[in-house]
Amino acid sequence: MSAAPPDSKRELWIGWWTLVVFYNLYGLLFFVITRTQPPPEPSLDPSEVVQWFHDRHYGLLYGYAIVSIVGGATAIMNATLAYSMRRMSVSRAFAYSYLVIYALATLPGMLIMGVACTVGAMRPDRDPALMSWIYDFAFLSFEGTMGVFLIGSLVWMVAVLLDENGVFPKWFGYLNLCNALTEVVVAPAWIFKSGPFAWNGAIAWWINMGVFVTYTVVFLTLLRRMILREDFGTGPLPELAP
Amino acid sequence: MNGRPEVVRFVPGQPDMWAFVLFEGFVFTAYFGVYVFSRARSPDLFLESQAHLDLRIGFFNTLALLASSWSVARCVQAAREGSYRAATTNAFLTMLFGFVFLVSKLREWVVEIEQGFTFTADEFSSFYYFLTGIHFLHLLIGFVALAVAVYQLRSPARRSQEIVETCATYWHTIDFLWVLIFALLYVMR
Repeated sequence: MSAAPPDSKRELWIGWWTLVVFYNLYGLLFFVITRTQPPPEPSLDPSEVVQWFHDRHYGLLYGYAIVSIVGGATAIMNATLAYSMRRMSVSRAFAYSYLVIYALATLPGMLIMGVACTVGAMRPDRDPALMSWIYDFAFLSFEGTMGVFLIGSLVWMVAVLLDENGVFPKWFGYLNLCNALTEVVVAPAWIFKSGPFAWNGAIAWWINMGVFVTYTVVFLTLLRRMILREDFGTGPLPELAP
Repeated sequence: MNGRPEVVRFVPGQPDMWAFVLFEGFVFTAYFGVYVFSRARSPDLFLESQAHLDLRIGFFNTLALLASSWSVARCVQAAREGSYRAATTNAFLTMLFGFVFLVSKLREWVVEIEQGFTFTADEFSSFYYFLTGIHFLHLLIGFVALAVAVYQLRSPARRSQEIVETCATYWHTIDFLWVLIFALLYVMR
């Protein structure tokens, strides 16, 4: 077997495809299998919460079992995102900061909610008051903890705006700011139990999700383009031939 | 060539910042849409709650931001003409008007909260604090943008006209969003 050339893009494509597969799987697991997204109402009373867990019993158990297995893929994904910052003309500190902050992201981004929902689904005969506690804990940990993503977006934004290698267009830097600002908008979910600012509200969830999906599609597209343009040098990335 | 004069398309600053303006425009349109929808469902409650707002303070705040837009436009114009000293002065003047807005807005919030008009008082108050709060956050970022513009203007080695205009575009967006928020929250009754 001949070794791959040192400038092989194979590893980068593995990282990129991991991102694409993961996000699709993430949508499938959270929206279809566990049916925890879009989030249910925060105002359910304990008996309704018990019914909510009952209706999703197997989806929660099997769905979050898969989530806990694939959660480790985030390491490869984060490394791919951090790679874009290492290819820029900016300090390595940006990539390091991003890696550290996103190493925490799997906790509020899926694992805490997964564990809480699984605990609720595992013993459906538990006291409804306890089930209600688990329900609040699950959704507040997931919908209300956006600080990690806020800082991550800002780190990426500053890196893109300072970069002189043209790894990403500057408008993507500003799109990071848009995304970061919508992470702030989620904060009222800690206070409201109904209406547009609750964790399932039009502003705290629906509009944010619209921005997040747009942001994700954009950065996946730009990362793909970056890999196509990658020349493994240290100067400006060459443009793609038309 | 078809004989027509060539039209050079031009937007002030980086076109990338205009993409930001457009995207933020979409996001705020969505926020405003939710507000108008909620208001249409409880018009009496919104009208009653709106009475807590002082239209005069809202108008004063609007004037402060309009003045800041005027001075930042003068900053850009002066920089284009090479009058960097005047441009820097106008950038600081913009900061001053922005600061006037900031202090006035903070004072308005404090007075309203002391009167019991808090974030969770009713549906209108939630929208009021949310929209003015997220706008306030944009304003704080605006001070960073102005600082970048001043940093550019102060040294002949830097002085990127494009970056100065990009920062000014961001600042105008703050004003633009405020005028819409002012119209929706204070004026529309």
